[in-house]
Order: sequence, then C-alpha cells, then structure tokens
Amino acid sequence: MECYSEQICAIFVDDELPADEARLLRNHLASCQRCRDLVDALRAENRALSESLRELPEEAASPEALSRWRWSRTWGDLALLAAVLALGSIILVWFDELNIPEALEWFNPFSPNGLTNLLFNLSDYFARGDTAMLTDYAAVIGGLIFLSLLGGSALLLGRRWRLPKSGLGLLIVLLMLTLPSFALDRRHAEFVTVPASETVDDTLFAAGTTVRIEGVINGDLLAFGRTVEVRGTVKGDLVSFAKRTVVSGSVEGRIYNFSGSFDLNGQLAHSLYGFAQSLHVDERAHVGEGIVAAAGEVSLEGEVKRSVDMFFSGNADVSGSIGRDLTVSGASREGGLTLTSTARVGGNLSAHVRQLNHVHIADGATIAGKRDIQVQVRESQFTRPRFYFHQAIWFAAALLVGFLGLLLFPGFFQATTQAVGSGWLSLGLGLGVLAGVPVAMIVIGVTLVGLPISLMLLAVYLTAIYLAKVWVGAFLGRILLKPSGTTKGDWVLGLLVGLLILTIVGFIPYLGGLVRFGVVCLGLGAFAGQLYRASRPAITA
Amino acid sequence: MDAKRNMAKGPQPREGEARRMEGLDLESVLVRARGHDAEAMGEIHHRYVRRVFGLCRHMLDSRESAEDATSEVFLKLQRNIESYDGSIPFPRWLLRVAGNQCIDFLRRRRRERQVMVEVEDGAAVIEATSSEPSALSTVIRSAEREQVQAAIARLPENYRVPLVLRYYSELSYDEIGQQLGLQRNHVAALIFRAKQELRRKLAQGSK
Repeated sequence: MECYSEQICAIFVDDELPADEARLLRNHLASCQRCRDLVDALRAENRALSESLRELPEEAASPEALSRWRWSRTWGDLALLAAVLALGSIILVWFDELNIPEALEWFNPFSPNGLTNLLFNLSDYFARGDTAMLTDYAAVIGGLIFLSLLGGSALLLGRRWRLPKSGLGLLIVLLMLTLPSFALDRRHAEFVTVPASETVDDTLFAAGTTVRIEGVINGDLLAFGRTVEVRGTVKGDLVSFAKRTVVSGSVEGRIYNFSGSFDLNGQLAHSLYGFAQSLHVDERAHVGEGIVAAAGEVSLEGEVKRSVDMFFSGNADVSGSIGRDLTVSGASREGGLTLTSTARVGGNLSAHVRQLNHVHIADGATIAGKRDIQVQVRESQFTRPRFYFHQAIWFAAALLVGFLGLLLFPGFFQATTQAVGSGWLSLGLGLGVLAGVPVAMIVIGVTLVGLPISLMLLAVYLTAIYLAKVWVGAFLGRILLKPSGTTKGDWVLGLLVGLLILTIVGFIPYLGGLVRFGVVCLGLGAFAGQLYRASRPAITA
Repeated sequence: MDAKRNMAKGPQPREGEARRMEGLDLESVLVRARGHDAEAMGEIHHRYVRRVFGLCRHMLDSRESAEDATSEVFLKLQRNIESYDGSIPFPRWLLRVAGNQCIDFLRRRRRERQVMVEVEDGAAVIEATSSEPSALSTVIRSAEREQVQAAIARLPENYRVPLVLRYYSELSYDEIGQQLGLQRNHVAALIFRAKQELRRKLAQGSK
C-alpha cells in the first residue's frame, strides 16, 4: 500500500483526522516502518513545540515579575545623588545666565569663575590679612549647605518613596539633560511666549514669570517660571519647574514635573513623572504610557494607558481609566484613595494606606485584577533585635576607641575632654570647623599638589567627628560621677556612663538629632581648640 | 525593605480573604465570580494571568501589546463572565476569549487588509520538501528552546497565530477555524506550513 503524505500524518498526529481515515492510517502504520518513524518524529515535534511555547520568552518571564523589580538601595541613592547634582547644575546654569546680583553668586560654588575668584581672594587675604574673603567664605558654605540639603532631602525622600523602575529612566534623562543644557536655545524674559505661528527646531530652555508655548517645539522644553503653559506641541520631553504647570496641548515625549500644581488636559504620548502639591489629569487628558508621581492631592479623570504608581499625602481620586496596575501609597492621616463608579483599572489595585477606611471603592468601579489593600503600620526600629546588635557594636567600639585614646595619648585626651567644658566656645568653634573644613579641603584640593593634603585633612576631619562623642561622653561622665581619683578606671567608667546617656538621648525624636549635632560640634570644637593650644608653644618657640 | 516587612505584620483583612480564596476549587470561585464578587474575579486573574499573557505574548509582536491585550481580556471577563456556560473547561474557554482578543487586536491594526492571508489552495496536500521531516524536533532536542521561541516570533502572522492557538491554547482545527473565519482545511494547511517554515528558520539559524 502507498505511504501517506507528511501532511496527512501531521493531521493524524494532531488528532484531527476523521475517524475512518485515522483507522486506515493506523492499519498502515502497523506494517510500514517508514510511516511509523514519520509519525513518531511528528509527535516529538509537537511535544517540543508545546513545551517551547509554554515557556515565555526571556524578557517576559512573568508580567508581574518586572513590576516588582526593585533596584538596590545603594544604586538608588547614587542615582538620586547624581540626579540632584544634575538638577543642581541645571539650576546653577540658569542662575548664571540670568545675571543675578553678585550677592547671590554664592548659589554657584562650583562654577570655575567662583573657584578661581575664591583662590585669588584667599591668597589676597593671607597676604594682607583682609577680612573681605570672609564673605566669599560664607558664600561657599551657603552654597554647599544648599546642595547638601537638596541632596539629603532627595535621599530621604528616595528611601521613603521607593523608586519604581521608571524612576531610573527619570534619573538617566535628568543626567543627560545637564550636558546639552549648555547648547540650547535659551530665552529669558518676563513673558516667554512661543506663538502659534512659531516652530522652534531646537531644545528650548525658557525661564520667565510666565512661559507660554502655543507653537511647536521640535526638541525638548525645559521651562522655569511661575506659570508654565503648553498649549501647542512639544515633540520631545517637557521638564517643568514652576508654581503652576498646565499642559492643554500635546507632549509627544515624557513630562518631568516639579511644580506646585500640575494640570494635564491634553495629550501625553509617553509617561508622566513628577512631584506636585496637586496633580490633576483631566477627563480630556490621555496619557500614552504611565504615571509615576508623588503628590499631595491627586485627581485622575482621564485615560492612562499603562500603570499608575503614586505616593500621595492627601486625597487621591480616580474616576478615569488606567490600562494596567494602580499602585498607591498614602501617608495621610485623613483623606485617602477613592475610586468612583466610573473608574476602570485594567490590572491589579495595590494600596498601602494607614487605615483600611482610607480606601473607598465605588460599586461601579471596575478592577480587572486583584485588590490588595495593605494597612501600613509603622514599626519602630526599637522592636528589631538587629538594631540593638548594631547599637551594642557601635557602643563597644566607641568605648574601645576612647580607652585606646586614653592609653596612647592620655594628656591630649584628658585635656580635650576638659576643653568640652568651655561650652559655647567649643560649640561655636566646632560649628565653624564642621562647616569650614570641607571648604578648606575643596580649596586645597583644587591645586594638584594640595590634593594629598586635602585627603589627609578629610581623614582627620572624619576621625574627629567620630571621636567627638567620645570626648563629650567622657566629659559628661566625669561631671556626673565626679570621681575623686583620676585613674584610668575612673575615666573609662565616666566614658561608659557618658556614652550611654548620649546614646539613649540620641534616640529621642527631634531632640535626639539636635543633641547629636550639638555633641559633634562640641567635641570638634574642643578638639580644634586643644589642637591649637597644643601647637602654640611650638610656634612661639 | 523594612516598610514591606512592616506591612506584612499589619492587619490585612483583605489579604486574609484572598488566602481563603486560594484554597477554593475553581467551580466555587466561578460561582462567586458570576455574582460579580470582586475577590473571586481577583482570584481568577491571579490564577490565569500568566497563561493568558503567555498566549498574547506569542500571538502579538510586542510585550506592550500583549500586556494591553491581557488587561483587556480580564476587563471583558468582568463584564461577560455570565456568558461562560460551563460546556468546556474554563481555562480553555478563557484562552479562546484571549485568542479572540488577540485576533481582534491584529485585525484592528491592519484595518484594510484581512489579517489572514488567503491560502490559495488550502486543501491541497503539500508534499514535504525534505525527506527528513523532523528537522524541527532535532533542533529542539539539541538547541535552546529560546531559539525555537525566537523562530516562532519571527513567523509571519498568518502562520504564527494558528500555530500558537493549536499548540499553546490547544484548540482544535475547528475552533481555530471559527476564530479566524477560515475553513478547517485552511487551518490544517496553515499549521503544516507554519511548521515547515519553522524548520527552515531553525535550520538556517543553526548553520
């Protein structure tokens, strides 16, 4: 009998051959080795195919896996810092450009001009003993404090509000923005307007009280102002720093918003990232991708094609449609998340709130996926054993360091401890040293020869900050115990008691931070004073 | 990470309810879902989202489209759960719905053109061009599955769709024909050609 074609065999293997034909084929198989082999091979092929299909391609192992992806804290912090510096430099460039009064030049400690001026003034100061450089000095400190405050708050915020993957994109874009910001079409005026008839082919950097875009920007738009309005089209990204930002036109890239209030009435092709006191996505609005935002009040009425991740501190109302997951985290004591009857969520709803009744979901609201509402209870660090373990190690280390100091440099150590007693003087001196040394390090480090000195200074500075609490602790212990003798045992006992008190007081909310800061200043001041006193005889000799 | 742990310790009434659902058999979950019970819908989503997503991912060309389609399937399910009459197993029914969704999606994308290229002579028996028909399985045995997946993803739409419906959703030729609006013979021919094309692609890739 003639053999069957491969296609017939394939249909047979798929169990799709009509019963009578299948019977004939089976009879044929019994006598034909060639067809039997073919059918076996086709069966194996089908199995392999099914198995391959059952596994998803690598990039899509699971739709949920990626959204849970969190990057490590260290990288997150680094990226945040980088972003802060990037942002800082954008702002600084802007300040530079605006010809702000010289008095405000302190905002820009990193500009090459500022640094060279500072160096000249310093040498001038040393040569003539002038006091003029003190102003520059204060200016630089001001600038540094400003940037570190900015960095510190961003870090704190970053730890509280864990950045989802899209945050990485934001940071990278911000970093990239800093470089080309030197080659932009810049416009500074009271009113910066791009009329409907105009098309800007470059990236536009606009700063003014009011920035209004009615025309077309072919590149990105970086806008600073009290009010930023986009009624026309921005083909690239929009980065807005403003009191109020309104987008009623269309943005074909992404929006990075840092405004008091942000209103989206128009079209956004990609995602929206931002901080705002109030964030409003109007029912006319359409967001082509997702939203990642931290805001006080949130109102989502329009359509968002992908996920919404947000952190809110007041009320969040959702009445529009969200294509994928809605993930919210609320920190408010009142208010909360409300999904009205028109709300539609295409994926999961996950909410982290303080109280369960902070989430209101109207009956008509549609949620395709799971509802996961978790009540966030702030657990104190004091309930974790790891905390005590760390504190014990920290404490033992400080005690050991103090003991070694006492053993190796008894005179200096005891004199420094007593110098803490000079109170305000030490405190003031310490504050000055705390703020001044980093500046001195930068100034010295700018010259190549000075770099090693600068690094050495840094090491001493950090060591002194660490030792500050040891000296203050020892001093405190001595006051409280008033030991009659001055044996090493008395000193160590005093140190133990003093450090214990400082450690415990350090954990009182608010006051603790202040105390710790005071301790660093006091100890640093006493150290600096003692160092000065110790070196004076050598100089006069 | 601390915050996460903290949350886990907090009271979680909803979570608890979801746990209770996890133990339920599919039938009871479906009964509750028909009564528009949100928890039950959530549970169904939880159980089948990967399967549905997998189908969409193989049928459509991008992860984004697949995610969109998956969301759409579950939203539709919320509205139309009553239309499941229990005549076929639920997972099979759901995959049929998902398959339809993907086909709709593909059709929408190319509005003017019919998604399935007409098979000139679907009923014609195509003789195997090579004497060793199992090239596909040989490759699969020796090579990475990723290669097979990649090759499937590179198949033309009119081959890929029936192939995925047959070997992922495990639909019959008739069911596939219904979904695609094609004759049963056409479906058989398309699947056969898809496999041949796949073998060719894999053989090329391994050279």
